[in-house]
Amino acid sequence: MNKDIDITISQQGDVSIITIKGDVTASTGEAIENAYQDVSSSGTKKILLNFGPECYINSGGIAALIGVVSESRKKEQIIRATGLSEHFQKIFNMVGLTKYIQIFPSEESALAGF
Amino acid sequence: MNTITNEAKKIELHIPSILGYEKVAMACVASVAKNMGFNNARIEDLKSAVAEACINAIVHGNKMDSGSKVGIVVMIGSLSLEVYVTDDGQGFGEIIMPEIEEQVEGKNRDRGWGIFLIRNLVDEIKVEKKPNDGNVVKMVFRLPKKTFFMNEV
Repeated sequence: MNKDIDITISQQGDVSIITIKGDVTASTGEAIENAYQDVSSSGTKKILLNFGPECYINSGGIAALIGVVSESRKKEQIIRATGLSEHFQKIFNMVGLTKYIQIFPSEESALAGF
Repeated sequence: MNTITNEAKKIELHIPSILGYEKVAMACVASVAKNMGFNNARIEDLKSAVAEACINAIVHGNKMDSGSKVGIVVMIGSLSLEVYVTDDGQGFGEIIMPEIEEQVEGKNRDRGWGIFLIRNLVDEIKVEKKPNDGNVVKMVFRLPKKTFFMNEV
């Protein structure tokens, strides 16, 4: 367990929700990857990344998320995200993650029509 | 309110080359930037850019040698904030910008996003080699034209 990150997994219908609180960095990338593998092992095709309001995301975390995106495309999964601050929405867009992960303003809106 | 001259003010700190300590530099520059009148969105840009420069210095410059320090110098000007991040390493080598399409396909994953983010978040960036060993990353953040920093009576 990594003290810099708190990850919980839940299920809403056929959507697997990975809730991430804390740091999304190179140090916590493995924990995120493990959570992704956990939900993927159940065969899910829809994943929602729910970021906490205090999330700190840096380049190492972006690399980890790109790894998850890469795996998800092989498994034909769809990933959505919510909870990102305006700043990190901008970073996702800057890097190009929004080409692969659609961002929603709330969990409810992310789950709607998923 | 006391009048403070427009002469640049300097703040210097040193952090160990351990990931996580970049947050100390982030907190410092955020506090300075807030006093200077930068808006919240720009402060977030500044925090991310400074974090990335520190992470580069820790990982690529000082090779995670916890005995080596990363230096952060903050120069407060009337029109801009300049941040210098220094390490004692051998240099970053050629910096090639990453491409997400390639990385999603599993290619060139070793190309990090740090310098890419800094370039997109700051008004000016310069990466230079120090005369002896080490690198300096200079970042400039300009104040919006109508902002006056601690300069009004």
